[in-house]
Amino acid sequence: MTAELLIFYVLAASALVSALLVVSMKNLARALFLLFVTLFSVAGLFIFCLADFIALTQIMVYVGGVLVLMLFAFMLSNKELLNDLQKGLTGFFALPRWQALIITAGMGFILIHMAINMGSNLPKWVTEAAREGKIFTPTDHTEKHIGLQLMTRYLLPFELISLVLLMALMGAAHLTRKEPKP
Amino acid sequence: MIFYLTYILSGALLFGFIAAFTLFAVYAERKVAGFVQDRLGPMETGKFGTLQTLADILKLIQKEFITPGLADARLFTVAPVVIFMAVFMGFAAMPWAPGLVPSNLNLGLFFVLSVISVEAIGILMAGWGSNNKFSLLGAMRAVAQIISYEIPAGMALISAIMIAQSLNLQEIAVNQGILSKESLRFLGIWEVADTGGFLSWNIFQAPHLLLAYAIYFVASLAECNRAPFDIPEAESELVGGYHTEYGGLRFAFMMLSEYALMFLTAMIGVVLFLGAWNSPLPTIGSFKLAEWTTGTIWGMCWILLKTLSIVGVQIWIRWTLPRLRADQLMSFCWKVLTPLAFLSMAISGIWRVFVMN
Repeated sequence: MTAELLIFYVLAASALVSALLVVSMKNLARALFLLFVTLFSVAGLFIFCLADFIALTQIMVYVGGVLVLMLFAFMLSNKELLNDLQKGLTGFFALPRWQALIITAGMGFILIHMAINMGSNLPKWVTEAAREGKIFTPTDHTEKHIGLQLMTRYLLPFELISLVLLMALMGAAHLTRKEPKP
Repeated sequence: MIFYLTYILSGALLFGFIAAFTLFAVYAERKVAGFVQDRLGPMETGKFGTLQTLADILKLIQKEFITPGLADARLFTVAPVVIFMAVFMGFAAMPWAPGLVPSNLNLGLFFVLSVISVEAIGILMAGWGSNNKFSLLGAMRAVAQIISYEIPAGMALISAIMIAQSLNLQEIAVNQGILSKESLRFLGIWEVADTGGFLSWNIFQAPHLLLAYAIYFVASLAECNRAPFDIPEAESELVGGYHTEYGGLRFAFMMLSEYALMFLTAMIGVVLFLGAWNSPLPTIGSFKLAEWTTGTIWGMCWILLKTLSIVGVQIWIRWTLPRLRADQLMSFCWKVLTPLAFLSMAISGIWRVFVMN
């Protein structure tokens, strides 16, 4: 077993175990801190797909931003509210257990179906690209490709996302504004 | 196998360096504080108190591990390790000399910034795990400050990246001296790729980067939680901030990561703006000073000298300026530094397209 394979299995195992613990743990604070382990291991798995930019963005945005915000929200909310949360979710956005079961079963079916269909053969488009030499190596500059693609082929989606973000920013600024005195 | 041994060895060397630097920096800090406040500082242990920090660390290592009774013991134990690992991982991509870098990453700067942002999680862990209101308040203030100041710091760094056209820290370093294969122009006019010296540093290739560097330096002070931005551990109001409950070796790790972060942020500034390991001496006629003072040993000397002088300025500022109030701190970040950082980013774009082509 090579060292790369060993690291891959360690990362995959820690991602799975910590994710399972996050959903099953009763202590909300610890569950949130465990989510950090999950996100970090998934970032490691992204590196194995040669998506180093995505991996680092995941750490920066999810660990350094979203997770910290979640912790802030958790620490600033009062105890009563948290107790309600821990009893179980009810209400409009809550997902009852049977719906969750359907979603997970569906995802599991897709994964197993793909694994059986593909077997040990790579799909045709992968082997063709490999024959033509259109592949990335670990030392390639992936960020240059991402930048070029974002500015040419995916320009419209990119601009649309920036508009959505701008709207969110304006909404947040509006919500925190003080009411003008009558 | 040799391959992995080198990795482990370079990691151990870096750790040794950080520990030695922390010992030296704590001593320097106390001495500078003494001189600024017109007293002597530590004088008893060793000649001029030189063995003082060594005695301190010996005391800290011997201390018992104390976990408060109502604390979340696991989070409390893990927090110092997470904080230190976040800072320590950042050193992996920092260049030390021509051809000498622990890991030559294409996304070097992005890697360093994203692993530093993990520190916030460690601080929250320490604050929550201690189960103490002063710790929790200190942690929340520290994290709010770190997240806010990441924005102007990031924007200032991006304006340097736009000039350097690379995220690889070693490449950025090479493109600021005589080893560069591209044309470098002092203030965008005078070709200095063969002259080298301070003329080819990024801040002189594009003078608005001086503004960007000033923004980055102020923001880096805030990110290290150092005065005048040391509200998170304001002793007079918050007892000790997020590390109120810590003692012994765990507290030593907190201090280690604070000083390591000071060195790391100073080093990022040096690499991006102040010519990294390039010599500040330009070639004058037949005196090829730039060529004579470029090399592995020279490179390490220059980058250490530059970084340590920036750390010196950080220490000097800590003992000179008074502490800012929390609301002043936030309005300074969002209303002064952030717009200025965006301005310097815009100038970078214009400079790159119209002057450097």
